[in-house]
Amino acid sequence: MQHDALPSAGTPQSAGTPQSLLRLGQHSFGPRQLLVMAIVNRTPDSFFRPGDTWDEPAAMERVHQVVAEGAHIVDIGGVPAAPGQDVDVPQEIGRTAGFIAAVRAAYPDLVISSDTWRHEVAREACAAGADLINDSWGGWDAALPEVAAEFGAGLVCSHAGGQAPRTRPFRVSYPDVVADVLAHTGKLAARAVEAGVDPERIVVDAAHDFGKNTWHSLEVTRRLAELTATGWPVLVSVSNKDFIGETLDVPLPDRLAGTLATTSICAWQGARIFRAHHVLQTRQALDMVSAIRGDQPPARAVRGLA
Amino acid sequence: MIVAAAVCPSPPLLIPELTGARQVATELRSACQASVAELTATAPEVIALVGAAERTRTWNGAATFDFARYAPRLGSGAAPRLGSGAAPRLSAGDGQAPDPGPAGLPSALGVGNWLLDQAGCQIVRVLQSVAQDEAPARCADIGARLAASRGRVGLLVMADGSARRGLKAPGYLDGRSTGFDAEVERAVRTGRLEALLSADPALAHELMATGRPAWQVLAGALRGRKVSSEVRYRDDPFGVAYLVASLRV
Repeated sequence: MQHDALPSAGTPQSAGTPQSLLRLGQHSFGPRQLLVMAIVNRTPDSFFRPGDTWDEPAAMERVHQVVAEGAHIVDIGGVPAAPGQDVDVPQEIGRTAGFIAAVRAAYPDLVISSDTWRHEVAREACAAGADLINDSWGGWDAALPEVAAEFGAGLVCSHAGGQAPRTRPFRVSYPDVVADVLAHTGKLAARAVEAGVDPERIVVDAAHDFGKNTWHSLEVTRRLAELTATGWPVLVSVSNKDFIGETLDVPLPDRLAGTLATTSICAWQGARIFRAHHVLQTRQALDMVSAIRGDQPPARAVRGLA
Repeated sequence: MIVAAAVCPSPPLLIPELTGARQVATELRSACQASVAELTATAPEVIALVGAAERTRTWNGAATFDFARYAPRLGSGAAPRLGSGAAPRLSAGDGQAPDPGPAGLPSALGVGNWLLDQAGCQIVRVLQSVAQDEAPARCADIGARLAASRGRVGLLVMADGSARRGLKAPGYLDGRSTGFDAEVERAVRTGRLEALLSADPALAHELMATGRPAWQVLAGALRGRKVSSEVRYRDDPFGVAYLVASLRV
């Protein structure tokens, strides 16, 4: 059965530019293929399970596990998003570049993403084998696109409300947060194209929680179709974030259900990459969405058919 | 005159597009395909395809079963439309009006058509449904009429045993199902098909043994003939008794 060729009946149709091919590393991904980007932190102090993969062997073990669980991309970072202990450029490179090289050696085909906002770090990451630069801080460092172009890497263009890296929102307001997301990510994507980044390797991210209060992140989720309507592949990074914690009034260990609900809503509206801590559960949620949309068949259907 | 007959169950799950990514019931499907292949290899003039349904009637050759009734996505877009095989079909010409809708064929006959299409069968088909509550004697008469319709008739009987063969079965467990299905199997295995005529319609109904009328058509079609048989499959992997056999006369 040609499930890939089926029309998208039933999915909210965003009037806009259709989604096209996405290239990451050696891979090409169609518009309706949903990809899990597994988070691998080389930090002692990230918010979710701090220090869990601070040791290199533990981090590599995590890579083995997420690959087995169905991740297409690993996102390797050396600096927490939250404020805290300063991590300078050489430290960040020390935490990530060598590890990226080790992952590349172990997995020649795996898509590796470097979670950094600094062009110096991105350069070392790409030299070590990274395929994608995941800049969650909205283009704070204007030299990132040139590095992506130089290495033929991809670039995530995100919206952080103009905030400096590692800062929390303080009384941030927007006349229309989605309009701001569209304007800023569109500008960054255009700038990346201008710098020579392959347009098929450019991804946009509304960056939930970054420069946003909980109401803003909910609004961005509700209206994500406006972002997918731009035609740029959309990444969402919602895993266990504070807007989910505040919405449900639950602490960190209890945010999985909220994460998966948000993930599904974003997938339904056309997001294509899902940055996640819980890879297996996220994969299952996305497979469920794909089956409901009719993009892939159930694994095994015999109920009522015997 | 009947030159050969095949007996197959008619679960929709025989059609691979309905069961998802993983292969399901491959052994059952292979057995059905083997029995259909043996039937078509006898080169009959017509294939009479028989299955139980809501009512007794013959069907226009253009009639198809729309498998999108089971899996709606199959009905849209680029997915292949199942049950629309290109083989020529005839109505038995018993004076009934042709079926008005192209997709009104009963499910059991749709599955039978699918098996014949899969086998690349180009032989003209007669499509006959038999009502679930048709009396045994009437079923036998229908069989006799089909047998007499041409010089060389191949009979494909789509018939399912009890759907109440376990706690997880579609109809839950009914202990009587084991004996009922064993009687049917014995009749087919030994070629003593007249025993099928004594299957009680009320009991069959209670046991959700939907194949009862079709088996009795088979018995009527081969009444008085010497029959040897090969049972190719008998099991109930989903709580429904499936019996696949080739009957040689």
